[in-house]
Amino acid sequence: MHTAIIAQGIGKSFRTGFFGPRKEVLRGVDLEVGGGAIFGILGPNGAGKTTFISILATLLRPDTGQARVLGLDVVKDAGRLRERVNLAASGAHFLWCLTVEENLRFYGRLYGLGGRALASKVGELLELFELLPHRRVTFERLSTGLKQRLALAKALINTPELLFLDEPTSGLDPEMAQHLRGEIQRLNRETGLTILLTTHNLREAEMLCGEVAFLKDGRLVARGTMPELQARLGLGDHLSLFFADGPGPLDYGRLPGVLTNKIEGNRVDLMVDRAEERLAPILAAVARMESRVIRVRVREVDLAEIYHEITQ
Amino acid sequence: MKLPSDFYKIWAFAARSALVNRRNVFAIFEMLFWPGVAIFSVGLLTRFLKLDPETVTFILIGAVSMNTIQIAQLDLSYALLYSVWAKSLKHEFMAPVRLTHILVGSGLVGLIRGFMVFVVMGLLSMWLFDMDLSRPGADGLMIFMAGMFLNAAIIGAVVLALVLRFGQRAEVAAWAFSYLMLLLCGLYYPVSVLPPGVRELAQIIPLTYFLEYFRHFYGFPLHSAHPLIYGFSQSVVYLCLCYALVQYTLKSARQRGTLLRLSE
Repeated sequence: MHTAIIAQGIGKSFRTGFFGPRKEVLRGVDLEVGGGAIFGILGPNGAGKTTFISILATLLRPDTGQARVLGLDVVKDAGRLRERVNLAASGAHFLWCLTVEENLRFYGRLYGLGGRALASKVGELLELFELLPHRRVTFERLSTGLKQRLALAKALINTPELLFLDEPTSGLDPEMAQHLRGEIQRLNRETGLTILLTTHNLREAEMLCGEVAFLKDGRLVARGTMPELQARLGLGDHLSLFFADGPGPLDYGRLPGVLTNKIEGNRVDLMVDRAEERLAPILAAVARMESRVIRVRVREVDLAEIYHEITQ
Repeated sequence: MKLPSDFYKIWAFAARSALVNRRNVFAIFEMLFWPGVAIFSVGLLTRFLKLDPETVTFILIGAVSMNTIQIAQLDLSYALLYSVWAKSLKHEFMAPVRLTHILVGSGLVGLIRGFMVFVVMGLLSMWLFDMDLSRPGADGLMIFMAGMFLNAAIIGAVVLALVLRFGQRAEVAAWAFSYLMLLLCGLYYPVSVLPPGVRELAQIIPLTYFLEYFRHFYGFPLHSAHPLIYGFSQSVVYLCLCYALVQYTLKSARQRGTLLRLSE
């Protein structure tokens, strides 16, 4: 797998007003993203997610550090890079008086498409995002969902090798958001398109991203796959055992894979490294003590917990 | 320039400008109503003042050129303002486009619209106020129009730079700048009536020379020996400076985050 993005020591600050002080938004961010992956950047508001993605998308110049996207320097080779990447952001905004089709044609031309190649690409995208019935509707008359679909269609007009998605489903109703997530997954699976997305929606990141990174106060504080982050933060799955007549004399803390344990009446709450793997041996150990488990509740650790742990 | 990819990029801006103009009823107003009002009001004023035909022509040339330049520079100025109003600026600059594509594409529509205004106003002046537009001949007319469009391009490029630096707030300053330029170059009066000090400023505005050149066909004296050399050379120098200025503001916009701010 090739490396799609290498960012080293990216720093960026903005001046507030003409004579105001500079506010540091990114403080030496390092990141490497493999090709063909869906990589998520998470973080609270003001963490620097959009600034970081905008630097990689050549919309902003970094103050310090350097970044290479698809092997090209984001500053020196910006022109060539722009031909191979694209961006869709939340709150889609396009020229209000152009129709869906005209907007796509406009952006297609900006990427040097014309004639039959443009017509066929526009047709393909209209069909892919179910925009054909709306192709003659002006942008200002579209619903939020349709606007967002147009934004995604526009982002694919140049058949990019890497797609930046900045909060792509923000402001959409759950059904439409789910539909778009499905589209993003399908695109990645079928075309091998590398996707770097920022999101507030942790479920979305969990569903889409193989790997995530957390930005906080302009610093990258953690990155990895879910199991990696879970292990690093000492977070585990939750296992609750409900007993008919008390948990018995078993020392739950000494069982393999148990990270923490708490007994409350007839219930034992355990945090284990991997619930799927540990449940059977734990139940066997309980059975040996002749305690009777009447109910088991399993809850896998989710990104929300990891996010909470990191941002605190 | 690599064709046809560059051609399509230029065409993108030209087609967008044309579509917006076609759908905007005020664009028709800009092209017909205001120029019509200008010709009528200025022409009738000259009648009321009982001016001789040469002086009437002198003033009508000013009215025609002012409106032609104003309309021709609009499309260039709007090239980025459309994107700022639509909050889509970042998508345009995310694409592999160069400044030349924007300037040529939007400028092309400005040129066509400016030409149409010139024709409409010229015809009205001939029909209503007996102005003889054919006297300078085809060459004289083409040279004058080229001069006007070069000046329109300079104004449009300055507006582009201001928009990239200050956003929508720059609009008013931009129009003020163009009116100031038109005021100084002797639109409705000879430059010689300008107060000392201001008169020198007129000498560094290329339109002054193009107006002088065009008016000399109607018997008004030339104040400089080679108005066209001055006019064209100043225009080229200013255009180059403006191009560099817009390039610089674009680079600075990527540094300051203006492209993102204007897309929010």
